[in-house]
Amino acid sequence: MSALLSGEIVGQIEALQNRYIDALDSKDMSAWLATFDERDDASYILTSFDNEQQHHPLGLMLDDCRARLIDRVTYITKIWAGTFQDYRSRHFTQRVASVRVDENVFDVRSNFSVCYTPVDTGESKLLTCGVYLDRIALTNLGARFVAKKAVIDTSVLPQYVVYPL
Amino acid sequence: MEISPAVNGRPVVWPASYNEVPKEVFVRADIFDEELRRIFYGAEWHPVAHAGELPNPGDFKTFLIGRVPLLITRAADGAIHVFFNACSHRGNQVETQACGNKFEFECPYHRWLFNSAGELVGCPNQREFSPGFERKDYPLAQPRTAFFHGLIFVTLSPDTPPLDEFLGEIKSTLLEVMAGDGRLKLIGYQRVKYKTNWKAYCDNDGYHAPLLHRAFQLLNWQGGKGRQYATEERGHMGFESELTVASGGDMLRDPSIIEFKGVDPSKGSRVIELFPFFIATKHLDSINLRFAIARSVDETEVHYAYFHHLDDDAEMIRHRIRQASNLLGPSGLVSMEDASIFHRIHVGNQTPGNVTFQKGVTSRDKLSFDFKQNDETGNLPRWEYYRRIMGFAREVV
Repeated sequence: MSALLSGEIVGQIEALQNRYIDALDSKDMSAWLATFDERDDASYILTSFDNEQQHHPLGLMLDDCRARLIDRVTYITKIWAGTFQDYRSRHFTQRVASVRVDENVFDVRSNFSVCYTPVDTGESKLLTCGVYLDRIALTNLGARFVAKKAVIDTSVLPQYVVYPL
Repeated sequence: MEISPAVNGRPVVWPASYNEVPKEVFVRADIFDEELRRIFYGAEWHPVAHAGELPNPGDFKTFLIGRVPLLITRAADGAIHVFFNACSHRGNQVETQACGNKFEFECPYHRWLFNSAGELVGCPNQREFSPGFERKDYPLAQPRTAFFHGLIFVTLSPDTPPLDEFLGEIKSTLLEVMAGDGRLKLIGYQRVKYKTNWKAYCDNDGYHAPLLHRAFQLLNWQGGKGRQYATEERGHMGFESELTVASGGDMLRDPSIIEFKGVDPSKGSRVIELFPFFIATKHLDSINLRFAIARSVDETEVHYAYFHHLDDDAEMIRHRIRQASNLLGPSGLVSMEDASIFHRIHVGNQTPGNVTFQKGVTSRDKLSFDFKQNDETGNLPRWEYYRRIMGFAREVV
């Protein structure tokens, strides 16, 4: 960390992380989309530690522009609606490093884990854990993700993944 | 063929109708053990990797056939080798990583050291070993291996017919899946476990697609002309479909996920399924080989490996990466629901009775090899081969 971030900045970053996981755990995809900056190149990428380590560019979700972020919402709310066995999720995050890269832009690294509970079995298990690598901008509308990359440690997922992590 | 001792105590009653399969074969652990012996360790070829996953000298990958661990390497001279992943000394597993790059593999137990060509190049205290011990006599052991345009096959039986004969008519479609010549390079993996039997995973292609996948309707994805066929001996299946590329309607802001940039627009889609359970597909511009592991009677692990072609320019590689990441696999636009269905099939198969295949069945008394594109009967030749090699007698009416 180049310099200690002010309590207000840390508060905005934490509030963004909380809005993000709350949106996913309540399956509010509009609220998920609203955590991203509105620029055209805002991105969300879900990939694995294995792919990262081997320099493989493939992701499990690769939404590298705002149009794809909007399409991600469409997949879930329109295209897949009613076709899959749903599960509840609970995300837990822990910010572990933050660095200012521009006046209002910060790179933030956070550990995360996601528990899931299929609605049919009611059995709660760990879906995955990993690290968020986030570029966050402070805007007039509050903190927003410019780029969010979720890198999962899990080599073999225990089941299909419907929602972003 | 003999009825296997393991399943003799509770004989499997295989229905007389050729379009029925007893549900118990999906859920009985004793049958799974017998499948390991007769199928996974029997006279079949199993794809374990594509050379494009190991593009550089020193690249390696580990994999399993049933419970047998394998180590696949590209040696310093560029040659591909497949070894049993067990030290030639006391049998300890040599490499534990899924993949990586190294030229030496050291067994941690007694520090025996092998190079990527499998030669024993070092072992401490060699002077105290048995009389006449020579390192050259203790390389990593190798299973029978054969190649088809970069696709690496292994068999654990000396009785397996040559690979060319094993593949038969499916070779042409398999080569088309691999972009026409098999000159591929890995762009990454998606790996997932399905709580289902390996045979239920196999059955899940073809007929269901237009009904299950709302994406096809909502994106205005018209089913093009195509054909489905199966090989006579083992029932390997091939699908060839034209693609009427979806307009996307007004659903998608970024239609690149369903864009087709390939040179073969009249037949854009290919799926092949080899007995026992290797599925590969080229859909739009996504090239996907699915290396699968039957972990147990109720767990199937699938490693979705995606590739680009060696002649692709930078723009095409980028397109393939962007399309493959979001189209197929455990969170893919047109395949996520498949994964969901796998679990429910396995739960349902715990009930008594038979599953039935209907669409396209013209006779209950014999196999037909005349399928329409979306018939589910393409699975039946594979089931008949399975029944025969498992030694399950068909019920006499």
